[in-house]
Amino acid sequence: MSLIDGIGPEAAPRARPAVASVKDLRVHFRSKVGVVHAVDGVSFDIGDGETLGLVGETGCGKSVTARSFLDLVPMPPGIKAGGAIEFRPHHTCPSCDGAGCETCDDSGRQAEPCDSCNGGGCEGCGHTGQRTIDLLEISEKDLQTIRGNRIAMIFQDPGKALNPALPIGEQVAEVFFQHRADDLLADAGASDGTEALGGALIQRKAGLKTSRIEDFLLSLPPLRGQRTKLMAAVQTRVAEALAETQIPNPRKVMDRYPHELSGGMRQRVMIAQAIACDPDLLIADEPTTALDVTVQARILELIRDLQQRHRTSVLYISHDLSLVKEVCDRVAVMYAGRIVESAATSSIFTDPHHPYTQGLLAAIPSANHERGRLVAIPGNVPELIDPPAACRFAGRCPYEAPACTAHDPLATTITANHEVACFIHHAPAGDEERPTWDRKVR
Amino acid sequence: MQIRDYILRRLMVLPVLIIGVSIIVFALTRVGGSPIGVYLQTGMTQEEVTELEERFHLDDPLPVQYVYWAGGVLTGELGWSGVAAAPVTDVFLPKLAATMELAISSALVAVVLGVALGTFAGARRNRLPDHLTRVFSISGAAMPLFWFAILLLIVFWVYLGWFPIGRSDPNIYARIDHPTNLYTIDSLLAGDFGAFGDALWHLVLPAATLGYGATAIIARMMRSSLVEELQEDYVDAARAKGLPERLVLRRHARRNALIPTVTVIGLSFGFLLQGSVVAEIIFRWPGLGRWMADSVLRGDQATIMAYVLFTSVLFLVVNLAVDVIYAYLDRRVVLGE
Repeated sequence: MSLIDGIGPEAAPRARPAVASVKDLRVHFRSKVGVVHAVDGVSFDIGDGETLGLVGETGCGKSVTARSFLDLVPMPPGIKAGGAIEFRPHHTCPSCDGAGCETCDDSGRQAEPCDSCNGGGCEGCGHTGQRTIDLLEISEKDLQTIRGNRIAMIFQDPGKALNPALPIGEQVAEVFFQHRADDLLADAGASDGTEALGGALIQRKAGLKTSRIEDFLLSLPPLRGQRTKLMAAVQTRVAEALAETQIPNPRKVMDRYPHELSGGMRQRVMIAQAIACDPDLLIADEPTTALDVTVQARILELIRDLQQRHRTSVLYISHDLSLVKEVCDRVAVMYAGRIVESAATSSIFTDPHHPYTQGLLAAIPSANHERGRLVAIPGNVPELIDPPAACRFAGRCPYEAPACTAHDPLATTITANHEVACFIHHAPAGDEERPTWDRKVR
Repeated sequence: MQIRDYILRRLMVLPVLIIGVSIIVFALTRVGGSPIGVYLQTGMTQEEVTELEERFHLDDPLPVQYVYWAGGVLTGELGWSGVAAAPVTDVFLPKLAATMELAISSALVAVVLGVALGTFAGARRNRLPDHLTRVFSISGAAMPLFWFAILLLIVFWVYLGWFPIGRSDPNIYARIDHPTNLYTIDSLLAGDFGAFGDALWHLVLPAATLGYGATAIIARMMRSSLVEELQEDYVDAARAKGLPERLVLRRHARRNALIPTVTVIGLSFGFLLQGSVVAEIIFRWPGLGRWMADSVLRGDQATIMAYVLFTSVLFLVVNLAVDVIYAYLDRRVVLGE
C-alpha cells in the first residue's frame, strides 16, 4: 500500500546539525500512588528537513515527549524532571536564496548563528556555532515567540483542536496577528505609524493587544479605514494559507465554523494554521488517527508535499507502523517512557534489533496471517510508578535473562545510525547472564 | 439558517407562550375561590354583594371571566386592587419601576461580578484565589436571603450607619421630576448628580442582598465551565499558536465557558424577582414585593394575577434573550433542530 513513495528508506544519513536535539528528557507526573515516570531519559535528534517518526503504543510517553517541545504538558501534575530540548532555528540560506548550494549542503537552509559567538563556537551553543535554545529553560514569553512561529503543532483530533465558537478565518488569523504583525501593517500601508494615536492603535490591533474600548475607537470613522485595510491584509494572508493546504474556496471557508466542515477539511485548516509562519519544525501528534482511511491518505500526502516544499522538519507521532513506514525518514520506537530502538525507516522495518520492535512488527496484521487470529505481545505495559533500574521490557520479553532485571540497558550503536537499548547488543555493568537470540524463555 | 431568522422564529412563538401562561395564571388563581372577599365591607347587604359580583363579572362562567380579564390586560385594565384601594394599573407601574430598578441593578452586579470572579477562580484552579472564591460562592448560595438581609441591615444601617434604607431621601426626591420612576435614570435625566449618588447609595444594601446569591451561582457555574473548557484541546492548540495566556483565556476559553453560564444567568433572573419580595420588605423598598405579600395574604386576586402574569412574561422574555445570546456564542445551536 504505497500511497506515498520516493522518500524515507533511500534518504541518505544527514551529517548536518539537527534542528532539534532531545537530550535525556525526563517528564514525570505526580499521582496519588507515586511518581509516574512517563518519559524517562529520552534522547534523539531531528535533522534539518528530516521526518522522524516516534512510534509506540498508547501511554508510552510519545505525546508527552512531543508536547514538551512547546511546554504544553500540564504542570502540575507534570514535573520537568530533567534533560534538555535544544532547538536550533534555521533561515533560508543567504548565498543561494533557498535554491540549494555548497554552503547549505543543497538544502537551501542554514542554521542561524549563535548570538554570543556569532558562529565561532562557544559554551552556549555546544561549540556548534549555531543559535541554540533550550526549550525547557526559556521563559514563557520567549516560548510564545517560538510557538506557532518556529515550531508548530498539529493535533490528533481536528474537531477538538479548533475552537467551536470562532469562525475558521479568525482562528487562522491569530497566527498572523501574533507573529507577523509587522508584515500585516506593511501590507496595510500603516507601518510608518504616521498619525500618532491612530498609528499606535492600529499597531496594537495588529498585535491583538487592543481592549474593547480601543476596538470601539477603531470602528469609528477616522480610524475605520485603517482598520479595514488591516483586516483585508489579514484576510488575504489567511486565504493564501488555506489555499496552500488545497482547501477549495478559501474565502468562503474562512467564514465557516468548525462544525460546518468535514474532518479532513478541519485537519487541513489545522495544517494551514501550523505552517502559516513557515516553521522549522512541525510536530504532528497522530494527525490522521481521528480521520477516515481515505482521508488519511490525502492528509499524509499533503503533509509530505508541504514538508518538501517548505523544507520543514517533522516529528511525526504515531502508533500506526504502516503510516510511519510511508512518511518517515527515520523511526524511533518508544516503550514505557524510553526509546528502545532508533534507525532509518528501512533498517527498522527490515532488520529490527530490539525484541520489542520485533514484536511490534510481528503484530501488524497482513494478508499472510491466519484468519481470525491477531498476533500480540503477551503481557501488559508495566506501571511506571518509581520504576526500578532495569529493562522496561523485561517481564514481556521472550529473551529475558538475569541481566535484564538487574541493570538498565543503554542505547548502543550497532551499525551506522542504528541504535538499540538491549543487553543482547551490549554487555551489562554486572556479571549477570546476558540474553541471547538463541535462548527463548517465553 | 441565519441568526436573524432564528430570532424571528423565536419571536413568533412568544405570543403563543404568553397566551398559554395567562390561561394558567388565571386558572391557578381562581382555584383559590371567588375573589369577592377582598371587595366586601362590613354591613353590606346581599343586594350590594350581587351588584359587586355583576360589576366584576364574577357571576359569569369561568371562560367568560377569563376573556373579560384578558381583554382588560390588553387594554391596560388590570382590575381593582382591594388592598391598595385603587385600580391595579395605577399602583402597579410606579411600584414596578422600583422593583425593576432593584432587580436590574442586582442582575448587573451579579453578572459582572459573577463572570469576573468565576473566570478569576477558574483560571487559577485549586490555588488560593479559587479557594477564596469557593468560600464566597458557597456562602452566597447557602445563606437564606432573609437572614443575610437582616445581617446587612444590622451591621451597615443600625451599627455603622454607612448606608440608608428606603429608596431615596424625601428632600432629594422632591428636587427632581420622575418621568420614568427609575430614580437613577430620572436623576441623570435631570442632570442632578447629587440625586444620582443618593439613588445609588440607597440601592447598595438591597442590591447587595439580592445580588449575592445570584453572583454566587453565576461564579460557581463560570468557574466550573471554565475549568472544563481549559482542558479542551483547542486551548492547547491556541497556546501552540503562540498566543499569550491572556488571549487564550479571553478569546478562546472564556467565550465557550460563557455558554452554559448564560443559561444560569437567565434562570437567576427569576431568582432575583423572587428574592426582591423579601429584600423589599426588609429594606423598606417601595416596590411590588410588599404589596404582593399583602395581596396574597388577603386574597386580592386582581393584583396577584397582574404580578404573576407580569413576572411570567418577563421570564419568557429574559429566556428568549438568553437563547439569542446562546445562539450568538455557539452557532451550532442555530444549525440544530
